[in-house]
This record gives sequence, C-alpha cells and structure tokens, in this order.
Amino acid sequence: MTDPVPIAMGQGSSCWGCFQSLVDIHLGLADVLPLLDIKYWQAVADFKLHHLESYPDKSVVVGLYEGMARTEEDVHLLKLMRDKCQILIAFGSCSCFGGIPGMANFSDIEECCDVKFRNNRTVKGGKVPSENVPPLEKTVKPNNSYVDFDIYLPGCPPTSKVIATAVNALLTGRPIELPAHAVCHYCEREKKEEPVESWLRDFQGISDPDRCLLEQGYLCLGSSTWGVCEAQCPNAGAPCKGCHGPVGHFVDHGAASIAMLGSYGPLEAEEMKAQIKDPLGSFWRFTYPASHLGQIRLRREGKK
Amino acid sequence: MTTAAVELKDWEPVIVAFCCNWCSYAGADLAGTSRIQYPPNVRIIRVNCTGRVDPDFVLDALDQGADGVLVSGCHPGDCHYTSGNLKMRARWALLETAIEGAGISPDRVRLQWASASEGQRFADGVKELTEKVRKAGPFRRKWT
Repeated sequence: MTDPVPIAMGQGSSCWGCFQSLVDIHLGLADVLPLLDIKYWQAVADFKLHHLESYPDKSVVVGLYEGMARTEEDVHLLKLMRDKCQILIAFGSCSCFGGIPGMANFSDIEECCDVKFRNNRTVKGGKVPSENVPPLEKTVKPNNSYVDFDIYLPGCPPTSKVIATAVNALLTGRPIELPAHAVCHYCEREKKEEPVESWLRDFQGISDPDRCLLEQGYLCLGSSTWGVCEAQCPNAGAPCKGCHGPVGHFVDHGAASIAMLGSYGPLEAEEMKAQIKDPLGSFWRFTYPASHLGQIRLRREGKK
Repeated sequence: MTTAAVELKDWEPVIVAFCCNWCSYAGADLAGTSRIQYPPNVRIIRVNCTGRVDPDFVLDALDQGADGVLVSGCHPGDCHYTSGNLKMRARWALLETAIEGAGISPDRVRLQWASASEGQRFADGVKELTEKVRKAGPFRRKWT
C-alpha cells in the first residue's frame, strides 16, 4: 500500500455543513480514510493553527477550504492553506462564490453589526464583541480574490457523491471532471414548453408532481444553475434555489436567472414586480460577492 | 480609464446603449440623418433584438465603469422576432429592482421603446438619460 496522502481541511466562517456532507460518505469513508493523513482539521483532529503554520510550504498535498473569509483570522487561514497545500480546493458555495454569508454584503458592516449585536428584537444597546474574537473584515470578498484555487467544488453543501468522486479522483491522480449541465438536465419532471401564467411563492397552490416546477410558476432556478447535484431538490418536489451557482464559472448567476425567467414568463413589468418580491435575495442568494453586481458593491465599500 | 483619471471638472458621462437592429438602431440612424441634436455621450452597440441583451451585459457595463446604460428596442407588439422585447421588458422589471436593491441609482439605467421612424423619440430618451446620469455624477466616484 502506498503512503497516505497528507490532507488539510480549513474552515472559514460557515455553517460547517460541507464537512458534514463529507462525513456523509458513510461507509465510503472506510475505504478513503486509511489513504489520508489528516494534517489539519479544526473540528475533528487535534491540530492547532500553529501546527499548520509550522509545516513546510507545499508539504500538504490536498487542502479543502470551506466557508468564506468574514474575519481576519479566516483570511489568515485561507492564505496559510494556500501556502501549505499543493492543490487547494474551494469546497462548497461559500468558498467558491461567497454563498449565503455573502448576502451580508447587501448591507454595510455597521448595519450588519446593528442587527446582530447592537439593536434587535432581543438586544437593546448591545456592543460588538472585541475580546477573544478575531476582528471582522469590512466586507465579504470572494475567496478567490485572496488566493488562487485549483479546483472549485460548489454546492450548499456539495453532495456526498461529488465529494466521493472528487476524493477518489485526487487519490488516483485523475482530473476531476464535473459535467457542465444545468439542473434541468437531470430533472425528471415534464416540460410542456408553455409560458408561465403567473409567478407563485413556494407556499401557494399545490404543485403537479410530474410537471416542471418553473412552468407551474414556482421560482425554480434549475435552468440557470449548475447541475452537479443531479437535481436532488426538484426531483424531490422543491424548487431549485441555485446553490451550485452558474453553469460555467463566474458569470453573474442572478443575471442569468433573470434572463431565464424573462424567457419562461414574459409578463408585464408591474406583474413581474408584484409577483417576484425580492430579486436580489432570490437570484443572488449564493453568488453575490463573486457576481458583477456584488463586485460593484465591494468597490463602493472600498471607496468609503 | 483609471479611477484617478476621472476628474469631476472635465468628466463627461459615458453611456452604453444597446439598440435593436430593427427599430432603435434605425431610429438612431434617422435621428442622425434628420440632424436631430442629442448628446454625444452615448456609445451605441447594435444587437439583433433587445431580447438578446442579457441582464449581465448591463451589470458588466456598469462594473467596468460605464456611468449609465440604455436599452432601446421596438415597441411591445412590434418585435421583429415576435416576443424578444416582451422578454426584455419582464427581465428589466426584475433587473431594475435588483439594481436598486444593490444600492445603484435606478436613474443610471433606462429601457425605452423607439421605432425606426421615431428619431426624435430616440434622441429625447438619450437626452433624458444623459441629464439624469450627469446629475448622478461619475459612477466610479462612489459606485452608487
């Protein structure tokens, strides 16, 4: 048997769900784990940051970075991972595009702190904690504006199947090939090519289980979203929220979704505005910091 | 042009206009041949149909430093390709809301309909947008 491959797993600010998805490989782990030499993994192995710092540069073969860089510590860890790892993988949508926490960029940092720490429904006159916690970055910048990644594995979280494929490919030295199909490619629902009559919220009406959700008027972003997930959600009855980002890297996912909705349901402007309440939050949910619109916001914060 | 080069005193708005081949581009042509005066700030890009204009084009233009974006096409119902402009109209409603939500002044973007015989209407639209953008100032100064 060959020597185990050194691997490091870094976590920025995130929900830790991507690594849970990794653990979800279940019995597959039994085959994979003996082949890995875990060098760093905050939640699982007892290595501290100074251990990672003490390794020689490029001594770790594979690095997975989950989450985005909200705090100065995250930025440090991200850069450290790049220095120490030969192959760095952006693991999950937060790491690839900014993800859910990237929506913090809809507001500036002071507004975020007001809602989180100072004044909200349960706290009045609170303070932003400054002891024993790393300082916050002013904005959520996409991770790839700090370091270069070798591989992007999007998803919220990436499916266990994709992770297993990726890990096996890495261990055998083959390239990871993720087909560039949209979610619709994998969806089993029937499309009748009829235009949408009106847009519905998820809780309105009862959907036909066999027909395309979008054609029924539900905001399913399947046709503008990368289908690495193999259409888990639409096949199970939930509209696609676009968590895998755009098909093909780094075009504006929100703009692509808007273009797609305009083709499927060309309603009057007033109807569109009345029926689709929050275009920004619906279509830029997972990709805002990396999108064109989000880049403009980042430039604005940079000017302040 | 770099940000440093944007000086307010000799700043002129840069406006990118997407005009459909069948109506507005011909309308702009008519405005020219009829010698209708309108601001020279607009850079016209001919597209086959406003339905071809991906919302990303608008965002990309702004991201790269245009001060305003104009999309001009056939009147609803008159599209050369039957429904391209109706699609753009629906997209525009969402795009406008998103742009405003992202903190960019909606005065910087404009969707208008001008047919091949409406040179004056095209020129008026350009004039109105240019004035609004001039009032809003250089986009690169504050990116709002």
